[in-house]
Amino acid sequence: MQTVINVEQLSKSYGNLLAVDKISLSVKCGSVYGLLGANGAGKSTMIECILGTKDPDSGTVSVLGYNSKKDRRRLFQNVGVQFQEGDYQPEIKVSELCEESACLYEAPADWKKLCEQFGIGNKIDHAVKSLSGGERQRLFIVLALIPNPELVFLDELTTGLDAKARRDVWKILSELKSKGLTIFLTSHFMDEVEALCDEICILRNGKAVFFGTVEQAKKASGYENFEDAYLMLSGEEVEKE
Amino acid sequence: MKSFGILLKNELKLNIRNMNMVIFAVIMPLLVLIVLGFIYGTKPAADGVSYTFMEQSFGALCCISICAGGLMGLPLVVSEYRERKILKRLKVTPVSPAKLLLVEFLIYVIYCVVSMFTLFTAAMLFWKIKIHGSFLLFLGSWLLTMVSTLSIGLLVGGIAKNMKSASVIACILYFPMLIFSGATLPYEVMPVAMQKIISIFPLTQGIQLMKAVFLGLPIENALLPVTIMIAVTLICFGISVKCFKWE
Repeated sequence: MQTVINVEQLSKSYGNLLAVDKISLSVKCGSVYGLLGANGAGKSTMIECILGTKDPDSGTVSVLGYNSKKDRRRLFQNVGVQFQEGDYQPEIKVSELCEESACLYEAPADWKKLCEQFGIGNKIDHAVKSLSGGERQRLFIVLALIPNPELVFLDELTTGLDAKARRDVWKILSELKSKGLTIFLTSHFMDEVEALCDEICILRNGKAVFFGTVEQAKKASGYENFEDAYLMLSGEEVEKE
Repeated sequence: MKSFGILLKNELKLNIRNMNMVIFAVIMPLLVLIVLGFIYGTKPAADGVSYTFMEQSFGALCCISICAGGLMGLPLVVSEYRERKILKRLKVTPVSPAKLLLVEFLIYVIYCVVSMFTLFTAAMLFWKIKIHGSFLLFLGSWLLTMVSTLSIGLLVGGIAKNMKSASVIACILYFPMLIFSGATLPYEVMPVAMQKIISIFPLTQGIQLMKAVFLGLPIENALLPVTIMIAVTLICFGISVKCFKWE
């Protein structure tokens, strides 16, 4: 199977803090890859180094065969990104934000249809700042899908969504995956990871402590429940009473 | 090309919705024109000259919007987009820095054009101003003054660390230029010593050039201001695209 993201020996530090320590990983075409870890474990730094918005201290990154810094403009024709704290112009409306995003791509998806799919179709004339947290989160997933991407990065994709909306998002992402989309995500919800991810990598203080599938994680930790397995592997285990 | 049009349309809408530039670049110059009009009316600029005070001041009035747009609006909007991480979001799209900067640049060109047009119409209707020199030369020197001033703003916005430092730099450039270059206080009423000091501002050069071609006065040394303004434009454009910071 073809490799979409290939990271080798990536390191990045901020002053004395080693945020990412010699991590290598590869993501296969058409799979869903989950990058897990506690707050501050290095997930966002990792994503930013892959996307080229941060410079790694050492190591190499290739995305769809491109160097994300040098070939930025060609690469991002085919890659969608949703950042944890996406921001927008203060007075902008949903329709304007979508239109502005869509016009940057050669073959964009129909953003009105995407808004309908994600349940914000009736909000397109509203100001983005007037949306609820959950609606805004869905809008930012829509923005990431507007390029009609081969690969999408979703950083904490369903934070702030209610149970029904999360299920809806999973369903749409699974459909897109079956059409060949590769998804790279981070999440703090283990049910979501279990439902979506083919492969996971668990980070702990900037080091990769586990690679494999959800089932392998359960086996390696000896826990039936994936959340328990995650907590044990990530070193966040709750002290037993 | 299509994307350029859509970006320009949406960014212009957002900018107008914000109202700041409508007030400072369109309404304020018009107010200054009206005040001057009520004071000087159609009186000649001095004894024995054939042009009126309003005609003499017209070029300077056009520079109020150029200053507001180029030295306040443009640097602040670009640095605001950086601070709010809007540019970071755009960094992971195929858009080029040159296209983004050009869109923002053109928005302020539009404000300057609108302001010049309203000023000219009002001054012509109420205070009967007319161009004694060449209309095309006036347009040319106005364009040059505008583009060179806006490019300074683009440079500040393109490379300032954050909104705060952009706004400090913008203020340092804006207020002295607006007040002392002849854009609000007429150059003619200043003491000679002061006139000498302020002629180092590129804007002063532009205003003097505009005034001369508007009134049809002989231009002694047009090459110097033209060269200065073209050089400033090219250098500022070059640096702001080359050293553009997304974050």
